[in-house]
Amino acid sequence: MLTNFEYAKPITLTHAVQCLAEKEREVKILSGGTDLLVALRRKQVQPALVIDIKGLKELTALTYTPGQGLSIGAAVCVNRLAEADVVRQYFPALAAAARVLASYQLRNRATVGGNICNASPAADLVPPLLVYEGVLEVVSQRGSRRIPLQDFFTGVKQHVLERDELLQGVFLPDTTDATGATGATGATGATSATGMTNVTDVGGLYLKQGRLKGHDLSIIGLAARLNAAKQFRFAVAAAAPTPLRLFALEELLNAQPFTPALAELAAQAINLYIHPISDVRATAEYRRHMAAVFVRRAVSSLVTAGGKQDG
Amino acid sequence: MAKHVITCGINGAAISAEVDSGQTLLEFLRGELSLFGAKEGCGEGECGACTVMVNGRAVNSCLMLAVEADGCEVKTVEGLAQGGKLAILQEEFVQHDALQCGFCTPGMLMSARALLDRTSDPGEEEIKVAIAGNLCRCTGYLPIVSAIQAAAKREREETASE
Repeated sequence: MLTNFEYAKPITLTHAVQCLAEKEREVKILSGGTDLLVALRRKQVQPALVIDIKGLKELTALTYTPGQGLSIGAAVCVNRLAEADVVRQYFPALAAAARVLASYQLRNRATVGGNICNASPAADLVPPLLVYEGVLEVVSQRGSRRIPLQDFFTGVKQHVLERDELLQGVFLPDTTDATGATGATGATGATSATGMTNVTDVGGLYLKQGRLKGHDLSIIGLAARLNAAKQFRFAVAAAAPTPLRLFALEELLNAQPFTPALAELAAQAINLYIHPISDVRATAEYRRHMAAVFVRRAVSSLVTAGGKQDG
Repeated sequence: MAKHVITCGINGAAISAEVDSGQTLLEFLRGELSLFGAKEGCGEGECGACTVMVNGRAVNSCLMLAVEADGCEVKTVEGLAQGGKLAILQEEFVQHDALQCGFCTPGMLMSARALLDRTSDPGEEEIKVAIAGNLCRCTGYLPIVSAIQAAAKREREETASE
């Protein structure tokens, strides 16, 4: 039996943020429960009230609007992302990360909002959400605000949310040009049947190193994306106190000619921008080594895909 | 401890029960319903011994509150055999010596059942991914993978002959 708490499952956002605004009692949000129930069991948290947010339709919706983007409710579970055709087609790095997060059972429960708000340095969904330039939608009784994901984390397990605020979801701008979305053939960078050049992303991927092939936290995770304008986007997990978008590495590569030599340049440069530590899962040196291996592999694969698109 | 009345399906039978807010689904299944198939190994979602199906999806019942099962259809290992006869999947586990101590078996079976419900012809890699959250410390995984493959084949043949 877990600690003694009251359980509420609001079905309106108004009621949910009202529960969160309680000042006298400690309140915890229950989404997938894969982190919260462990913390409750270990008595690391002892809330008086637990609010289950899975009854809120705004938080369980996964909606793609061509030309606009993908809106992911905070309570959408990881397997829904892994299985959704629009995610696999237009946000492949996110689908790839969703497929390797924890175990199959946990992916059926763990949610996007939980992975973000738990604020682990090793959160697998965050690097892809960063390379797709995600914006968080946050609500409270005081109103709502939008926070670019890159500004959300302040340290290990730390973020900018106030205690009365609820993460409603994350919005990813479309990876297709609004004018060309109908001719798109997918995220692989092929030319469409109509002969029109594809305006979707060239590609995106997520590379994860764990201690074993099955269920484990990342030793290092790298999301890489090459958009339709042949601009690279990179982000890493487990390589710094927070998941990190690598803006400086992007600038370095995006200023160079688009050739296979970019892979080696990225491999040599990435370690200037990450700050890994040694811990139970790996040494800092191994993380640095794998970051270089992964970015070389990712850039090489994306440059090849981009070259095919030109040819 | 706050009480909640939940209504859910357990292996096809509708039940209504009063649960504590701090009770896990696993504690409810074992403690209140005497369904002892699902086991508590780690209690933290690492080992998969507590795996059951909720609305057709394999989940760790140790990481789910009983009250969260309200309105859901829950299937446990006890729901696999019908009329005293083992299901094909269970028979193939026996045939392939896919268990020794048996502690992980109910969880393995439910992860496998959920897999075969979503794909009738899983490849070896798909099977490994499906049971990556189920730890076995004695049999080794090869007979388990073989058993699931054999069960998939028999189930396909059965469907084809119907």
